Amino acid sequence: MMRTKGKTNSSERVLRKEERKLQKRIKQQEKYFMSSQWQLMARRLVKHKLAVISFVILAILYTGVIFAGFIAPQGLEDYSATYSNAPPSKIHFIHNGKFVGPFVYRYDTEFDKFRNKIFVENKEEIYPIKFFVKGVPYKILGFIESDIHLFGVDNSNLPQGKDPVVLMLFGADKLGRDLFSRVLIGSQVSLTVPLVGTFISFVLAVIIGGLSGYYGGWVDTVIQRIIEVFLSFPTLPLWMALSAAIPPGISVTKVYIFITIIMSLLSWPNLARVVRSKFLALKKEDYVLAARLAGVSDFKIIIRHLVPGFMSYLIVNLTLGIPGMILGETSMSFLGLGMRPPATSWGVLLQECQSISNIANCPWKLIPVIFVGVAVLAFNFLGDGMRDAADPYK
Amino acid sequence: MVNSVLKVEDLKIEIKLDEGMLTPVRGVSFEVRENETLGLVGESGCGKSLTCKAILGINDKKCKTTGKINFSKDGSEINLLEMKKDSAEIRSIRGKNISMIFQEPMSSFSPLYTIGNQMSEVILLHMTKDKKKAKELAIEALRRVGIANPEKRYNQYPHEFSGGMLQRVLIAMALVCNPNLLIADEPTTALDVTIQAQIIELMKQLQKEYRMAILYITHDLGTVAQICDRVAVMYLGKIVEIGTVHEIFKDPKHPYTKGLLGSVHKIGGNNERLFSIEGTVPLAMNLKDRCSFYDRCVFRDENKCNRPEPCLKEVGKEHSVACWLYESNEPHEKEGI
Amino acid sequence: MPETILTVKNVSKVFSSKKVHIRAVNNVSFEVKRGETIGIVGESGCGKTTLGRCIVRAIDATSGEILYLAEDGKVYDLQNIDKKTLRGIRKEVQMIFQDPFASLDPRMTVFDIISEPLRANFKLKRNELEEKVKSIASKVGLNPSYLKRYPHAFSGGQRQRIGIARALVLNPRLIVCDEAVSALDVSVQAQVINLLMDLQKEFKLTYIFISHDLSVVEHISDKVGVMYLGKMVEYAPTEELFRNPLHPYTEALLSAVLIADPTVKNTRIPLEGEIPNPANPPSGCFFHTRCRYCIEKCKTEDVSFVEKKPGHFVACHRADELNLRGIV
Ligand SMILES: Nc1ncnc2c1ncn2[C@@H]1O[C@H](COP(=O)(O)OP(=O)(O)OP(=O)(O)O)[C@@H](O)[C@H]1O
Ligand SMILES: Nc1ncnc2c1ncn2[C@@H]1O[C@H](COP(=O)(O)OP(=O)(O)O)[C@@H](O)[C@H]1O
Ligand code: SF4
Ligand code: SF4
Ligand SMILES: [Mg+2]
Ligand SMILES: [Mg+2]
Repeated sequence: MMRTKGKTNSSERVLRKEERKLQKRIKQQEKYFMSSQWQLMARRLVKHKLAVISFVILAILYTGVIFAGFIAPQGLEDYSATYSNAPPSKIHFIHNGKFVGPFVYRYDTEFDKFRNKIFVENKEEIYPIKFFVKGVPYKILGFIESDIHLFGVDNSNLPQGKDPVVLMLFGADKLGRDLFSRVLIGSQVSLTVPLVGTFISFVLAVIIGGLSGYYGGWVDTVIQRIIEVFLSFPTLPLWMALSAAIPPGISVTKVYIFITIIMSLLSWPNLARVVRSKFLALKKEDYVLAARLAGVSDFKIIIRHLVPGFMSYLIVNLTLGIPGMILGETSMSFLGLGMRPPATSWGVLLQECQSISNIANCPWKLIPVIFVGVAVLAFNFLGDGMRDAADPYK
Repeated sequence: MVNSVLKVEDLKIEIKLDEGMLTPVRGVSFEVRENETLGLVGESGCGKSLTCKAILGINDKKCKTTGKINFSKDGSEINLLEMKKDSAEIRSIRGKNISMIFQEPMSSFSPLYTIGNQMSEVILLHMTKDKKKAKELAIEALRRVGIANPEKRYNQYPHEFSGGMLQRVLIAMALVCNPNLLIADEPTTALDVTIQAQIIELMKQLQKEYRMAILYITHDLGTVAQICDRVAVMYLGKIVEIGTVHEIFKDPKHPYTKGLLGSVHKIGGNNERLFSIEGTVPLAMNLKDRCSFYDRCVFRDENKCNRPEPCLKEVGKEHSVACWLYESNEPHEKEGI
Repeated sequence: MPETILTVKNVSKVFSSKKVHIRAVNNVSFEVKRGETIGIVGESGCGKTTLGRCIVRAIDATSGEILYLAEDGKVYDLQNIDKKTLRGIRKEVQMIFQDPFASLDPRMTVFDIISEPLRANFKLKRNELEEKVKSIASKVGLNPSYLKRYPHAFSGGQRQRIGIARALVLNPRLIVCDEAVSALDVSVQAQVINLLMDLQKEFKLTYIFISHDLSVVEHISDKVGVMYLGKMVEYAPTEELFRNPLHPYTEALLSAVLIADPTVKNTRIPLEGEIPNPANPPSGCFFHTRCRYCIEKCKTEDVSFVEKKPGHFVACHRADELNLRGIV
């Protein structure tokens, strides 16, 4: 009797546990039923490892864009003739056998037997690396002013007449400017031109492609022909021609705007095609007809059914279009047709790599290439992941 | 005793999804015999297509398949599930001994090649190496399925055919290697009534000629009644009743089969409300261990049915049903006091 | 005798592209009484959907009149009507679609889908809207707690219920059901057909029920029209049409029905050849290329659609002399 009872109790417990598990799973399922397309997309995207990693990398890069002034130890205009072509600084912790925390030695220049300038560390004084130090003033997002930098070197041991020591993580360029700072400041151009350009082409594509798809008929025909004309141009020569047309001597801001516009001018036609074809397909959907029969106005149908319908596809296409723009801006600036000194971008930084001897002597000058590559790949992988996630019902 | 061509034993398929683990096929066993047509019926999503895709080994990678699929080839039995995916051996069985006809005739052909081209390819792969012979065989096969002017049709592209004709070409292609087993997954669902009837007549006639076994999947009971010898009724990934077509239609035992048959309107019958099974098929996920039809069953008996899931039990010579109502002795000890 | 709610008069619809002109609907005429269900059957491509879409004014007919008796007692020609009046009539004429997956916007919740017609036509407060949607949802057998879900949570039958709720929410009088149950399983089909019939009784609805499934049409319809290559070839009360078809095409169609009874072997009347290309229909009687009763006259002389018996219209030269086989 007792035994049976015990058995019942334990089996009841198991049952209750099962029941709870079931409830939990049902709740999970209910959440799935109530999640919108975007939520479903996000869920699938999160499963795409490469896309998530890319997203994290891009988030880091863009954090760099926003806080470039703060993170970079040097400003855009700082230079020091002494450190021209200096290699990356070595960070040390131990001085004379004693642990003293992170510090750098000063570089002194000497000449070797071929009369080439070489840099040797002067191990007499140490220059401790400090965090949150005062430096050149900068603005974050254009309005938060400050002169505190994430890190810098304490120059209190500096002998008279010497150039201040700078922590140059990526070495220095021809003019003795810290490459790390310049990569960060350059990313403010290289990583935002594509975004702004994409946004402009997005707007153009939605309006023009939408008009084409919605009205059809001769409007469609004319727009399609125009798009074909645009698409028939070879991209690189067109870029070159257009950027050659940027008047010389105009302000950095204006150059930036010109370049952005050139970028978007060349990418909207493809996007407009995507929008148009999606528009045409969606227009035929039964649910659009149902809305029309219910008396919903054309404008509302476009806003409520059509635009959300192709938004996911459009965003995927936009993301996959960004790498092209990054490469475009970089190659234009590299060829001297885009951003011009004193403004900088990754392409401008790479201008110094135009001669082989320069690369051979100062290989660190190729570091911006890594950044270009990482950004391009990250956008590609993210776009791929989004494409896979865009169709939750597949 | 008639030989069985295909014996499926305890076939289970699991698919991992975002929302959890889906078990669309939960232990299916049946056999298809020589020269007979076994109908597999059930509502959409009950696992019919997955079952026959598993037989052919063409399921997605994410479908975890367990169980046994024994196919008798030249007198010996081979477990198709144990064979390597896409090995030469299974491919030869798939093309030569087992053929399949799909629901959508259009998507079964490549639009880039002529019908003849695509047919000869199959023949060259499995039957003969002689191109001229292959063409002859293909034209002969087209003629057999009633395509007029097969010599001319041989050189035409799929888009020059209508849906019904393409389905016939597909049948011709499936039969060209004289398979022992033909799997037809809703071959007439996309077709019009008139063509549907035509295709079914054609299949019956060809079966007589070749004595092949047919596994016919459909959810149309009219088709089942007209073409099948035996019928297996599937619900939520399990066979709940299996028997000869006459037994199933005249004396259905399982409440689900009864409901299914009741919801078909017969022309000339009264036009009152149709009988319908209430509720919807649950998702094959998070299932409790009891009769899967429990929630929708009108014959449900709280005393009898509150037990683990019933398995198929014989109620006649050829007739089995999985329902506690037909369980005479009580196989499970009573729980508790 | 109920009043005539819809008169379709000589309606044609031509789809033209550069080279081909397809007469998808060819001179179709019939009348619908209030509260009736009219079944429209025929093979795929014969113009059923196009006819249905002309009636709900989803597309413009090329010629002909569609006279509709509106709730206010006036008869409007839906073909020639100004935009504003059409907006008012739209509420009364609705449609239920074939594909339960394509007919619901996957990006909207069920509540938004059902309430969209209301929001487009009336200015309702949120709680009024909710009340209305909830009541219609329970009418079609949807659990009100489902309203927050998205369509991907539902099976075909439940989706079709959502579609029905959306069509019903404006209190229409005429509903065109285009293959509304064709994509569903038999058991679910039975549920939806029962639902449609219940709703018809409750709201005095008139249905135009387009389907290629003859047994479903026989069950639900009061009258049936048979279409072939864009033309209506026969139109009669259901029982009359199934018992005594007057058109050879109807006879062939009926003989092809697969009866769900293994003891009844069906004896199909074979139709020779394929359906002709609708862009290039045969001369004379469109059916003559496949008709086993075809005579010389059929090949050259056009047929007219005439009332052979009271309420029984047919387009065949030999309708008087032939003795055709029905089912039942
Ligand atoms: N590749 C897949 N990934 C995820 N789920 C799948 C996959 N294939 C099938 N399923 C699910 O498995 C279940 C059974 O599918 P199956 O195609 O076998 O149904 P069926 O009985 O053939 O239905 P129908 O009559 O609609 O053809 C369904 O719930 C389906 O959604
Ligand atoms: N938008 C369209 N453009 C051109 N042809 C069409 C269009 N819609 C339908 N058709 C043609 O009209 C004919 C009738 O089509 P439809 O009304 O959809 O037939 P059903 O509904 O009877 O299957 C078919 O030949 C079809 O190809
Ligand atoms: S076991 Fe019970 S609940 Fe299940 S089908 Fe039979 S009678 Fe219905
Ligand atoms: S008119 Fe002639 S061809 Fe046409 S249906 Fe009648 S008998 Fe047949
Ligand atoms: Mg299937
Ligand atoms: Mg149609």
